[in-house]
Amino acid sequence: MTSAAIKLDQVTKTFDGRVMAVDAVTLDIAAGEFFSLLGPSGCGKTTSLRMIAGFEHPDSGRVHVGGRDITDLPVHRRDMGMVFQSYALFPHRTVAENVAFGLRMREVPKPEIERRVAAALAQVALTGFETRKPGQLSGGQQQRVALARALVVEPPVLLCDEPLGALDRKLRQQMQFELKELQKRLGVTLVFVTHDQEEALAMSDRIAVMNGGKVEQVGTPTEIYERPRTRFVADFIGEINILDGGGPLRALRPEKIRLVAPDGARLAGMVETANYLGGSTLLRVRPTTGSSMLVRETHAGERASRMPGDAVGLTWNDSDAVALES
Amino acid sequence: MSAAPNRRPFDVGRAAYLTLNALLLAFLLLPIAIVLVFALNPTPYISFPPVGVSLRWFEKFFGSAEFMNALWLSLWVASVVLVLSIVIGAACALALARGNLPGRAVMTAFFMSPLMVPAILTGLALFQAYLLSGIGRPVWGLIAAHTLVAVPYVIRTTLAVLHNFDRRIEEAAAVLGASPTRVFFEVTLPLIRPGVFAGGVFAFIVSFDQFPVSLFLVVPKGETLPVVLFNYMKFDLDGAIAAASMVSILLALSVVLVLERLIGLKAYVKL
Repeated sequence: MTSAAIKLDQVTKTFDGRVMAVDAVTLDIAAGEFFSLLGPSGCGKTTSLRMIAGFEHPDSGRVHVGGRDITDLPVHRRDMGMVFQSYALFPHRTVAENVAFGLRMREVPKPEIERRVAAALAQVALTGFETRKPGQLSGGQQQRVALARALVVEPPVLLCDEPLGALDRKLRQQMQFELKELQKRLGVTLVFVTHDQEEALAMSDRIAVMNGGKVEQVGTPTEIYERPRTRFVADFIGEINILDGGGPLRALRPEKIRLVAPDGARLAGMVETANYLGGSTLLRVRPTTGSSMLVRETHAGERASRMPGDAVGLTWNDSDAVALES
Repeated sequence: MSAAPNRRPFDVGRAAYLTLNALLLAFLLLPIAIVLVFALNPTPYISFPPVGVSLRWFEKFFGSAEFMNALWLSLWVASVVLVLSIVIGAACALALARGNLPGRAVMTAFFMSPLMVPAILTGLALFQAYLLSGIGRPVWGLIAAHTLVAVPYVIRTTLAVLHNFDRRIEEAAAVLGASPTRVFFEVTLPLIRPGVFAGGVFAFIVSFDQFPVSLFLVVPKGETLPVVLFNYMKFDLDGAIAAASMVSILLALSVVLVLERLIGLKAYVKL
């Protein structure tokens, strides 16, 4: 399967002439990359995806795929695959007819359609479901059909708009593994829109964190988590402490803080609450001065070493407190 | 040891609900039962209680050239109205729901207005308009008038389906390589078809039962069944009227049942 690089060049989109949905966004997505657009609702991630698909036309800026300017190309000539949160299967057609649709539009000969549909359904472990209607399938099965339908045409680019958002937690996790594995095996360029930061961290090669129509930061999951560039990114991904000691604000992850004796610690305080999370405990500590701090204590034993009301001291390495751009 | 099954306590609300339903059904169905009784009662006038069972009124109805001509005319007009209404109504509904037209609410109200205006006024207005413009009273004028009052039903049922339509389904088809025309015929049309046909059933019945509009627009020897029945009733009130009513009811019912069987109306009609 061929894959294609995607380039958004200063792309801007407003709605009703007023609301700035996407504001001069530039992104370079490499061929074969699993790339996530991450942000809260209204941040412009879905609009960006819809401009790559061709459902929205940018007010200004260009969209390139595989080195070719496709900004003015209609949707049906873009040769992409897309998976929607609502699955968007054709309810009046069987599973096999759904998967065959793109091949039929491409006027692939009938025997080849049958062969490729069977292979695509086998790929998503749905052999035997050919004659079912989408309404007779579970959510997870429907999403697999949607995936097979998108991939059977061997698109160089696969666009996913919160594809796992409607699934329950356990199934979502399983589908995360399957989707990532499938993407790596096929080598397709995958653009993945999500508001779920854990999902983005777990699956992506790189993530663009978006806010208010702008890209706040692009980086690998580790870079995004460990080295957030802005306060928004630091806040949006995981738990964070923002330190204001004059100069730039600094971001400190709760797991970088060590619990020590109160004497001689950087901060002394008292444990306010302790939330047991299974593998770790998230403590909120109120220092004698300043705002409260989140501290994650990973424990191999049965429980956390500190209880609410305990006096504790906090300490951390300077290099772990990341300076943020203002 | 198995526990005794829990008895459901007597539920006043449920009892009231069932009673109300029974009363409503009786109110809807009793008149039809009475018509059936009259249609089968052999006395030459409408009377109660019935004295026997006979098919003489059905024989009279089916044996009368006047009734038969009117019945065929009504069926023919209603069939043409059905086809015209679904084509025009579905196109209107699509334009209203999808067209991004300025003044959409006003236009919707305008297209639905034949439902608001008393049909007798519509009939009178069309009668005057036809006369003034020298059209006269041709059959196509009658068909046009019926279509006018039938189209809003198709618009309404189609809009209901379009309102719940997930447009991502059309987008999915487009990404897969379907041009806008193919998206319409492969996806949009099959998915709105139940709503269109449901409106078509109403259109057929509205035309087949149409009296106030037809009254002004039919010519002697070219009268539809409701008009013929009305004229007949002015002079005779015998079981032939009841027999004609039964035939009308059965015809309307069979149209509904055939469409239900073909496309499963139940699942789609949300008015």
